[in-house]
Amino acid sequence: MSIRVNPELRNQLIQYGIGDWNACYHCGTCTAMCPLSEEGFLFPRKKIRLMQMGLEAQLESSVEPWLCYYCGDCTKTCPRDANPGELMMSLRRYLTSRYDWTGLSKKFYTSETWEIGFILFFAVMVVLSFLVILPSFGFRFTTELTAQGGVKVNSFAPIHIVEKFDWTMAIIVASLLISNILRMYYKIIWKSGQEKVSLFVHIREFWLLIFNFAVQPKFSKCDDKNYWISHWFLMSGYTIMFIVIVVYLPWFQTEKILPIYNLQRLLGYYATFGLLFGLLVAIIGRARREDVKFRFSHVSDWLFLFMLTSTVVTGILIHIFRINGMAYATYIAYIAHMAVLVPMILIEVPFSKWSHLAYRPFAVYFTQLKKYAIPR
Amino acid sequence: MEEPRIGVYVCWCGTNIAKMVDVEAVTTEVGKLPNVVLAKNYKYMCSDPGQELIIKDIKGHNLNRVIVAACSPRIHELTFRNAVEKAGINPYLFEMANIREQDSWVHTDRTEATTKAIDLVIAAVRRVLYHEPLEKRSVSVDPATLVIGGGISGMMASLEIANAGKKVYLIEKTDHLGGHVVKFDLTFPHLSSAKQMMRPILQRVENHPNIEVFLQTEIHEVTGYVGNFKTTLRNKDNEGTELKFGNIIAAVGLKPFDPSKIEEYGYGKFPDVITSMEFEDMLGTGKILTKYGKEPRNIAIIHCVGSRNKKYHEYCSRTCCMAALKFVHQIRAALPSTNIFEIYADMRAYGKGHEEFYAMTTHKQIMFLMYDQQERLPVIRQANRSDDCNMIIEMDEKLSGLPIEVPVDMVILMVNMEAHENVKDVVHAIGVSLCGNQFFIEKHPKLDPVATTTAGVYIVGTCQGPKDIPDSVAQARAAAARILATIEGGTVPVEVTTSFVNEKLCCGCQTCISVCPYSAISFNEIKKVSEVNEVLCKGCGTCGSACPTGAIKCKHFTDLQILSEIEGIMSMSY
Amino acid sequence: MNFRPTIVAFLCNWCAYTGADLAGTSRLKYAPNIRIIRIMCSGRIDPTFVLKAFQQGADGVLICGCHPGDCHYQEGNYKCLRRFKLLQKYIAQMGIEKERLQLEWISASEGKQFSELVNNMTKTMLTLGPSKIKSSLEVEYIK
Repeated sequence: MSIRVNPELRNQLIQYGIGDWNACYHCGTCTAMCPLSEEGFLFPRKKIRLMQMGLEAQLESSVEPWLCYYCGDCTKTCPRDANPGELMMSLRRYLTSRYDWTGLSKKFYTSETWEIGFILFFAVMVVLSFLVILPSFGFRFTTELTAQGGVKVNSFAPIHIVEKFDWTMAIIVASLLISNILRMYYKIIWKSGQEKVSLFVHIREFWLLIFNFAVQPKFSKCDDKNYWISHWFLMSGYTIMFIVIVVYLPWFQTEKILPIYNLQRLLGYYATFGLLFGLLVAIIGRARREDVKFRFSHVSDWLFLFMLTSTVVTGILIHIFRINGMAYATYIAYIAHMAVLVPMILIEVPFSKWSHLAYRPFAVYFTQLKKYAIPR
Repeated sequence: MEEPRIGVYVCWCGTNIAKMVDVEAVTTEVGKLPNVVLAKNYKYMCSDPGQELIIKDIKGHNLNRVIVAACSPRIHELTFRNAVEKAGINPYLFEMANIREQDSWVHTDRTEATTKAIDLVIAAVRRVLYHEPLEKRSVSVDPATLVIGGGISGMMASLEIANAGKKVYLIEKTDHLGGHVVKFDLTFPHLSSAKQMMRPILQRVENHPNIEVFLQTEIHEVTGYVGNFKTTLRNKDNEGTELKFGNIIAAVGLKPFDPSKIEEYGYGKFPDVITSMEFEDMLGTGKILTKYGKEPRNIAIIHCVGSRNKKYHEYCSRTCCMAALKFVHQIRAALPSTNIFEIYADMRAYGKGHEEFYAMTTHKQIMFLMYDQQERLPVIRQANRSDDCNMIIEMDEKLSGLPIEVPVDMVILMVNMEAHENVKDVVHAIGVSLCGNQFFIEKHPKLDPVATTTAGVYIVGTCQGPKDIPDSVAQARAAAARILATIEGGTVPVEVTTSFVNEKLCCGCQTCISVCPYSAISFNEIKKVSEVNEVLCKGCGTCGSACPTGAIKCKHFTDLQILSEIEGIMSMSY
Repeated sequence: MNFRPTIVAFLCNWCAYTGADLAGTSRLKYAPNIRIIRIMCSGRIDPTFVLKAFQQGADGVLICGCHPGDCHYQEGNYKCLRRFKLLQKYIAQMGIEKERLQLEWISASEGKQFSELVNNMTKTMLTLGPSKIKSSLEVEYIK
C-alpha cells in the first residue's frame, strides 16, 4: 500500500521547533555517529526523512525519538548543518502532543499564550484558595511559634488536607499520563500492525522499565557522561521529593525542627542539592548556548526550567523561614511554592517536557518488546 | 642514397630505466650492429645536456640517423625530432624505442627486460635504415569562418571572430537566432533574465558588419580542406550562393528528449504533464496554470527524464538539476502556497555557485523525493474522484525505503539533452565523428575539447555534449580564438605522414577509394590511377594495407619500414 | 631450456599504444614476452606484417585497436576486424593455430586490461608450445 505524502505537515512541525529541516541530504553520518542507534531502531536520519515527507502515521508509531538522549554528536558531525539532534528533540515535542488525547499538549507547545495563560490561571487559583477558601477549612495564619521557635506550618496548612490534595493531584496527573502512555503503546506496538508480542514477554521485560527509570543507562552511553550525571542528580532529587511529599507528607512536613543529621533533613537537603545541581547545569548551558545540546531552546524548555527553579527556590525559602520562626514569610513562600508547583505539575507532567520521565523508560521497554515481536 | 650512419642513445631516465634494464649491456649489444656508428647511454636524454650530446655527435660523427631508447614516443618524440632538426637532420630520420613505459616499468626480471630492450632497439635500428626525409607542408587559410548554428554558442563564437575583423557566415536552420536560451525565462544560479541577456547579443549579431546571417538554411555538403573549404547554399532565398571559408565551427546544439517514450510518465496522455521546455514557454506567458485554467495546488518536478537510464540515455544532461531548482524559485514567486515536489535520482550541483544555489533552494519549502533509476521509475496515474488532486505519482522513495504516492496537479518533466536529429547530415558534410550518444567527438577529450580530428573543423556547445550556458560560451570563444590564431598565421600545417600512390604500380582497382574515411583519394580518369589529396589525408594507412599491388606508400609507415622492424624485433629471439 | 614464447604486438597509436603506456605509468606488471610495434591505426595492419612475424618465429601475434566507434580515423578498426577474421582462417590453413593470432580492443584508459591481456595471451602461448611454422619453413628451404 502506498502512503500519501503530506507537504503540509511541515507547517505543524515547524511550531515544535524544527529549524532548517530540508537541509539534510541523507548522507547518514548522524546515524553512523550515534552511539545509541542500533539495527532495527536506526535514527536520526530515518526519522528526519519521515518528517521531510510528512508521513504522520509513520512518525507517530516511531519509538526511536525517545531512544535519543541528545548528546549532540550528530549535530556536530552533520555536514549540512541540518541539526539532527534538534530535529529529534522537536520530534519528541511533537510526539508528546500526539500521545495526548486532550489536545492541551498541542496547545501548550504551539501557543505561548495558552501555556502562560494556563500557568497564570492556576497560580491565581492557588493564591486565591489560600487567601479566601482554605481558611474556612482550618488553614490558619498564625504568628505563634513552636517551642523550638519554628513556624507552626501545620496549622497554616493542615497535613491531612494537604495530603488529600497531593493525592488528588497525583491521581489526576497519573491518570492523564497513563492514558497517554496507553496511547503511546497503541501507536507504537498495537497499531504498527506487523508484529504481535506475547503477554509473557510483556511481563518478563517489565524490569527494564524500572531499571531505565531509575538509572537511564542509555543516557550514560552518550560520549559526554557529565550530562547523564547531572540529569541523574536532578531526577533522583525530584523523585525523592515527589515520594516524600505525596506518600510521606506527615513525616516530611513537620513543625518540629529535627537535628541536622536526621534522615528527614538529609533527604530533603540531598533532593534540593540534586535538583539545584541539575537545574544549574541546564540553565547555564542554555544561557551560554555553547554546547549543541543547549544551543536551541524552545519556549517550553525555558518555561520548564523557570518553574522548576522557582519551585525549588520557594521550597528552600519555606525551610529557612520556618526554622527561623519567620511566620508570614513562611506562609508567603508556601503559597508561592504551591502557586508554581501546581501549574507546573499539571502542565509539565502529562502534557509537556516532563512527560519524558514516563515516555523514555516506556520507550526502552517498548523497544525491547518490539525486538521479541513475532511477525503477524 | 648515402650510407646510413646511425647514432643510438640509451637513456637511464635516472633509475626509471637503469634499475630494470642493463643500459650498458644494451649499448654494447647495439653498438655491434652494422651501420651503427656510435652507441651511448646517458642519465637523462631529454635534458638539455642530453639533447646537446646528440647535436654534438651528429656534427662530430657525421650521423644521418638517430635513435633514442627512452620513454614513450608519445612523450618525447617531438623533443628529439626538434633536437635532430637543430643539428640539420630531417626530423623523420629519427626513431624512438620505448624501453620505459613498455619495458622497465612493467617487468620484474632484469635479464628479460634487458633482452627486450635490446630487441626493441635493434628493431628501431632496422626500421630507421629505411626512413626517408619528409617535408613539412602547409596551406594558406581563407580568413572567413562558417558557423553552423545560431544558438548562444554559435552567436558568441561569431561575435568573437567578427569583432577581430574577420568575416563570419552564420547559418541557422530555423527562422530565428538565439536557439533554446532565448526561450528561457531565468537562468541559474543567479536567477537573472535570459531574455535580457540575449537581447543585446542578438542585436549585435544581426547588425554586425562582419557577420552574414543565413536563416532557414542548412548545410548539405562541404568540400575542400582546412583553410580552403567551400559550400553551396540551397534554400529559397540564397539558392546557389557559394561560400568560401577557411574554418568551420559546428554549433548545431541539442534537441530535448521526447518523454512520450517513457510510458510511466504518460506524457501526451495527461495534459498537465509537460516538459521543462514547455514550462519555460508557460513562464514566458507569465502565468502558471493547468490545462483547465486553474492554479495548481501541487506541482511535481521529475528529474532525469531520459537521462542516466540504460533504456534511454545513459549520460547525465548536467543542467536539468539546476534548472529544476530554478523552477522552484519561479513557482514560489508566482504561487507562494503551492506544494512543490522535486522527484530526483541524484542531485548534481557541480558548477560554480550551484551547490550554494541548491542549499538556498532547500529553504523554499519544497519536498525532495528520491527515486532509483535502476529500480522503478515513478508512475503517474489519474487521481480518483475522492482525491483533491488531478494526478497521483506512485513511487518507491529511496531514502525512506517506502512506497509512497504524491498528489499532483501539474508535472514538469526535466527532459534530457539529446543530440540533434539532423546531426548526421552535418556530420557527413563537415567530416566529424560521433560518439555512441550521437554527440560530436572532440580531438582530445581533455587537451583539445574544441577541435576535431578534421583540421579546421571545431565543435562548440551542446552538440559536443550536454552543457550549460557558461560552458558553451567558454567553448565557443575558445574555438574562435583557435581559428583567429590560424587566420593570423596565414597558413596551417598539414599532415606529413600521408599516403602516396605510385602511379606505375597502381592498377586502378579503386579499393583504396572505398576504404578511405576522409575521401582523400580520388580516381584520375585520364591516367586511370588513384591520387591522394595530401591535404585531406590524415595518414591512417588503411589504404596502404588494402592496396593489392603495393602501389600505395604510407609515408613513415612503409611496408619496408615495418617489415624491417619485425625482423629486427625477432632477430635475437632465436 | 624452458620455452619462452615471443609475441609480436601491433598497437594503434591513439588507443592501444596509449593504453600500453598507461599500464607502464601505472606500474602494472606483465609477462616480458611481448614486443610492441607502433602503427598509426589498426587499419594499417597489412596481412603481410602478421605473416612476417610468424615467419620470423613469433609464437603469437596480437593486434590491438580502438574500441568500435572510438577509432581516431573513424573506422580503421572495422577494416582491421575484417582482415583479422580472414587472417585467422588463413593461418589455420597454413598450420598455425588460430589462437596464435588475437585481436583485442584496448582504449587509452585500459592499462589494466592490456596487462591482463598480455598475461593471458602468454599463458595461451605456453600451453600451445612453440610455433612450428618457422622450423617447417626452414626445412623447406634446405630442400
